[in-house]
Formats: sequence, structure tokens, C-alpha cells
Amino acid sequence: MTELTPALLLAITGRTLLVSFCALVAAVGIGVPVGIWLGARTFRGRSGVIAIVNSGMGAPPVVVGLGVALLLWRTGPLGTLEMMYTPQAMVLGQILIALPLVVGITLAAVAALDESWDLQVRTLGVPGLSRIWLLLREIRQGLLAAVIAALGGILSEVGAVMMVGGNIAGETRVLTTAIMMRTRMGDFEAAIGLAAVLLGLMFVLAAVLTVVQQGGRR
Amino acid sequence: MSAVLRVRDLRVHLESRRSRFELAVDSLDLVSGEVLAVLGANGAGKTTLLRALAGLVPVDAGRIERTAAGPVTLVFQRPIAFSGTVAHNVRVALIGARLPRGERDARVAEALGRFGIATLAERSATRLSGGELRRLALARAFALRPSVLLLDEPFDDLDAAAQRSLGLDLRRAIEQTDAAVGVVTHDLRQAVSLADRIAVLAAGRLLQVGRTADVLAAPVDAVAARTVGMRNLVPGTLRGGAVVVDGDHRVHVHTGLPDGSAVWLGLRPEHVKLDVGRGTTAPIGKGVVRRIASDGVLTQVTLEWAGHELETHLLSGRGLARTLRAGDGVVLSVAADDAHVMPRDEG
Repeated sequence: MTELTPALLLAITGRTLLVSFCALVAAVGIGVPVGIWLGARTFRGRSGVIAIVNSGMGAPPVVVGLGVALLLWRTGPLGTLEMMYTPQAMVLGQILIALPLVVGITLAAVAALDESWDLQVRTLGVPGLSRIWLLLREIRQGLLAAVIAALGGILSEVGAVMMVGGNIAGETRVLTTAIMMRTRMGDFEAAIGLAAVLLGLMFVLAAVLTVVQQGGRR
Repeated sequence: MSAVLRVRDLRVHLESRRSRFELAVDSLDLVSGEVLAVLGANGAGKTTLLRALAGLVPVDAGRIERTAAGPVTLVFQRPIAFSGTVAHNVRVALIGARLPRGERDARVAEALGRFGIATLAERSATRLSGGELRRLALARAFALRPSVLLLDEPFDDLDAAAQRSLGLDLRRAIEQTDAAVGVVTHDLRQAVSLADRIAVLAAGRLLQVGRTADVLAAPVDAVAARTVGMRNLVPGTLRGGAVVVDGDHRVHVHTGLPDGSAVWLGLRPEHVKLDVGRGTTAPIGKGVVRRIASDGVLTQVTLEWAGHELETHLLSGRGLARTLRAGDGVVLSVAADDAHVMPRDEG
């Protein structure tokens, strides 16, 4: 059994942060515009789309992992990309887990604004880009809640990253998969250490975001 | 003064799953330095008209021409407050103007001062009272220095004192701009006190546009009459320069309608005069007091005359208002100049 040295712990933590950060940025980058669009527009079938988003918020990570695995498997539609068991595959799985959370919370924040919000801003002659800035400013509480929820989902998720990452030492091993492996091996001391780091990370990141969120309340 | 917004043959259709509405305005001008009040019952299309003028709803036919360069802005019935300070809320309106910081701040201060909320500048806008928020929305709109300013029910949900004080500030602010102002209200008193001209809208159709005094004195039909406060409408027939009501009651009128026409006789409450038991210059017969109600300033008297109910006002606490009782008989009089005649469709 490899000993959990500080260097190894640092490498696993670094990889966890990198994979999670990439997934978070992509999920927010895609999810916020989609959430704003869904929250502001009315079209036929909107309720159906929102129902899919809402059920996606509670999708079991292993099922998401299975879906990504089927896509990336050698014989799957994206098999030629040879992404299975790579950090990229883990990022993809985490994006799919976080995306419904970001979309769902963003659209709820937009839908909570006054029905005539956009019309009232337009009648003040506020130009297009500034209108978007104003909207983001107005829903920032909701946006930060979306980021916190997405981060929580990504950092704590283990099923999907295990399935599509494979927990390969030095390549796709992250905090959650390492905790799982150490526990299976009976190395509780290392598992507890890894869990403490994961909890610490989650706490620090959530605390920073919460401070930002509450600071914006006026 | 010239028209800064010209509406010609405007048609707007709004359709939802439950309802269908059509707005049709053949001709309407908003003139620089002038206030046009749009009056109408709920669902008449007042808000739709304002939104069409502001370019916020798609127009199906016709055109809305703008001849002035300044912005067209609309203050909504329920204005929004952006999170941030009151001053920030006014600054938002100036984003598009790209003013130097000093000039922008001066305009914000001027607008807040104009509506008496300068002391609230650093207060959170989302915590304002309804009346303060209304003032903020007006300050925000005036800060834009619009060429056309549209106001949707600016006095809605305010108590009488707040309405009066906001009405005064609004009048003063309007006097200081040369914007063309369009105001939608269901409050006739505010409309009369603000407006140079009145437009009457009913069921999506523009019934009448004209100088305030003219529209109040001579509405085109019974619907317009009710909208502009001509609450006494009595059906009759025109015979020999008088409207004959219920066979033997005659009210002398000036009208160009032919003898024998079926007409509505329209009387504003303030034009129906009372005199207990004594004759007056233009008596129209005896009436009986049915109900009396006072709001402390005006006493509203409901009478039965020629089989119809008529309303009149007296100043409370003076003369007849102190002595009149339900059941009293009174002689009514109306001056021919105050009696308005409108054609009545008997079908």
C-alpha cells in the first residue's frame, strides 16, 4: 500500500481542484445564460424543459457516469476521442452533474424578478450589454447560490468520476475516489485525512462565496 | 408647440390563451410641453396604448412617428427598484447617456431634489415605501430628460395626502420640462389638474381627444360622458329646443341635432342646481331627495327626477347641505349652456 505522503496529498488535492474548477467554470458558463433565457422567455414546451432541468438537479451521479461512459466507451459515439479514464472525461461527467443545478437556480432567480423587469430597463434606454450587467447584478444572490450548489455537487461527487475516471494513480485519482479506495483497503487514517482536506476545501470555498453573497445584500 | 409623437392608424392585437384584445387609434398626437391624459375604464387599453407609444409592444398596423431626438420613456404602474442605493437607481437611467461623472451626479441630485427624495439618496432602494418608490421612478424618468414621458397610473395605491403632494411635485416637474407627457389614470381629478388635453379610450377604441375643458363639457357619447365624470345621463327626445324626458319634463338645450332625435341628456353633477320650494331661472321641475352623503368637503345628493336618478354636489356644512333631508322635495334647475346633448342609438 502506498503511503499517503504530503506530496501525494498535495497532488491529489491539486488535481481535485483543477478538475472541479474546469467543470464549475464550464457549468456556470453554459448554465447561467441558459437559465436566464429559460427564466425570461415564454415558449411552447417551456414547462417540459423546466421539468427536465428540475429532475436533472436530482440525477444520481452514477447514472450520469454511466451515460458519459456509454458515450466515451471505445465503441461509443465519442469513442474515437479516447477520453475514457482521463481527467477530461471526469470534467465532462461533473459538468453534466452541475449544469442542471446552475440552470435551475438561475432560472428561478430570473423568474422571481418583476414580470416587466426587462421592459422597464429597456424603457430607461439602458443599452444591451449594460442590461445584461444589471440583470446579473440583480440576480447575484441566486447566481452565487447556484455556484455554491454546483461546487458542492462537483466536489462531493464520486460515482461519475469513479466510473469515467477510473481512479488511476497520478492521473485521475481525486479526493473522493482516493477516500473510497483507502476505506476499502482499511487505511482509515489516510481516508480520514483525505476527508478532512475535502471538508476543509468545501468549507473554505463555501465560506468565501457566502461572504460575497451576503456582502451583496442591501 | 409641435407634435413629437404622431400616431396614425395604429392597430395592436394582443392575444393570450384566454383573451383577445385589439387597440385601434386612428390619430393621436403628443405635443411638446403639453400633457395628454388618457382616461378609460379598466381594460380599455390605456396601458397597451402607452406601451405601444413607448415601443414596448409590437404594432400590427399603422405607424408611430417620432420627430424629436430625445428618449421616450415610460414609468410603469408598478415601478421596479434595482438593488443598490436610490442614487444608483437614478444613475442606471443615465448609463446610455454616457455623461461625464460630474454632470451625471449633478443630474441625479437634481432629479432626486425635484421629487423630494434627495435625503434618501444613499438609502437602499428596495426598502422604500410605495410612495417613495413612485417618486424614485419619476425622478429616474425625468433624469433622462425625455422628449416623450409616459406615465402609467402615477398615483395608483397612494393615499389622498400622498396623491396630492406627488401631484404638486409632478406638475412642477412637468412645467420645468418641454417633454410631451402622456399620463394614463383612472383618477379624473388628477387628470383634470394635470392635463392640457384629454383622450378617452373605451374597449380599445379612441372615442375622443380634445382640450380638457371641451371634453369635460361635451363628451361625444354616453360612454365618454361617464368616463369624464358626466354622471347624470338621462334618455329623452329633442323637441323645440328642449330635451323632453318622461313626457312632460323639459330641459332647454343648445344643440344642432334635428328635432325628434333620440338623445342622451348629460349633466355634470355640479351643474344640477337645487332650490327648496323656490323657482330659479331655468327650472326643470321638482325632484325628491333620495340619499345624502358627505365626505366632509362635498355633500353628494342623489335625487329622483322624472323617473331617473340625478346626482348633484353641495359644499358641506353650508346652506342647503346642512338642512336637506332624504324625502325633501326640491326644485331643480339647469342652465341651457350646461346641458349637453348626445345622440342616442335606440337599437
